[in-house]
Amino acid sequence: MADIIYLRMKKNVELNRMQRLYLKDIAYISAPSALKSEIENTFIYQVTKKDRNIIIIDSFMVIDHLNEMYPALELQLIGPDQSIIRIKKVRKTPNIMLASGVWILLFIGTAMTIMNFHYDVSMQDVQQKLHYLLTGEEIKYPLWIQIPYSFGLGIGMLLFFNHWFTKRFNEEPSPLEVEIYNYQQDLDQYVSYYENRLNDTKPFH
Amino acid sequence: MILNLFINILEIIIGLAAGLAVGGGFVAFLTVLGIIPRLIQLSRSAMYSQIYVVSVITGTVFGTYMSFADVNWDQPTMVLILWGAFHGVFNGMLAAALTEILNVFPIISKRIRMDDKLLWLLMAIVFGKIAGSIFQWTVFVK
Repeated sequence: MADIIYLRMKKNVELNRMQRLYLKDIAYISAPSALKSEIENTFIYQVTKKDRNIIIIDSFMVIDHLNEMYPALELQLIGPDQSIIRIKKVRKTPNIMLASGVWILLFIGTAMTIMNFHYDVSMQDVQQKLHYLLTGEEIKYPLWIQIPYSFGLGIGMLLFFNHWFTKRFNEEPSPLEVEIYNYQQDLDQYVSYYENRLNDTKPFH
Repeated sequence: MILNLFINILEIIIGLAAGLAVGGGFVAFLTVLGIIPRLIQLSRSAMYSQIYVVSVITGTVFGTYMSFADVNWDQPTMVLILWGAFHGVFNGMLAAALTEILNVFPIISKRIRMDDKLLWLLMAIVFGKIAGSIFQWTVFVK
């Protein structure tokens, strides 16, 4: 009965420089201890400039390689089918200028969108009419409705995002965090298909 | 006097409820369109997602203030240009995200069998938007 080696690919690996990749860099291994370190230090791939930012190591290639080296072993794959290896340039701190630009963009964008919405649905007219219905007096600025409305707007959004600055209301992730996660998942899925050498399809453009 | 107080409280409740509904709906819309994740990815600043939330909320409340208050400031044209440019970028992202969510591009390019000419279709829409916007503000509304 052959020894069984369990392999679990690491889904995302980040490298800071070009280097030689060993099996332990891209996968977790469960094996009899005598063999473990030997297998872990199996050379897998040399990262070169030509690879640019993203390399996909498919589990099939790893298994194929290990099979050749250790014909006596049985290999079992659990977990992700491939590793996405990203080569980062050194820049760790994000650009403050860029972040400020994004901040202002979101600020002005949402301010304008809500103004357009208010005019689009004639909210001020409705509030004036409502004030007239309730009190019988016609005023231009029904502040008793408008100021609570503004607070309600902010509170509603805070409730949605599940955050008050850094304090969160409960353990649940906010919809924004889920959306960021989903977006990353989609990107990972895309690159693990199109950057994979085993799939010879080319992306559009 | 009592009636007046009662009406004021009623108005406060109506206003607050309306605000909650609009605020929740507004950010739900923004989140579904995925503009914020895209911006975070472009600027590689995932650790700042909290301050972007603050930006969205303060922006919306500021916009509400401007909708209902009768104020005016004496600002130079430069501020207007910047304001318009930022508004344009945001609106562009909104429009693009909306077409993307509705799968307009994949479907139309499959239909007319132009999968490989996707970028040309994209450019057509971009220039169409620019031309349409300029036409509207310079000719159509006059």
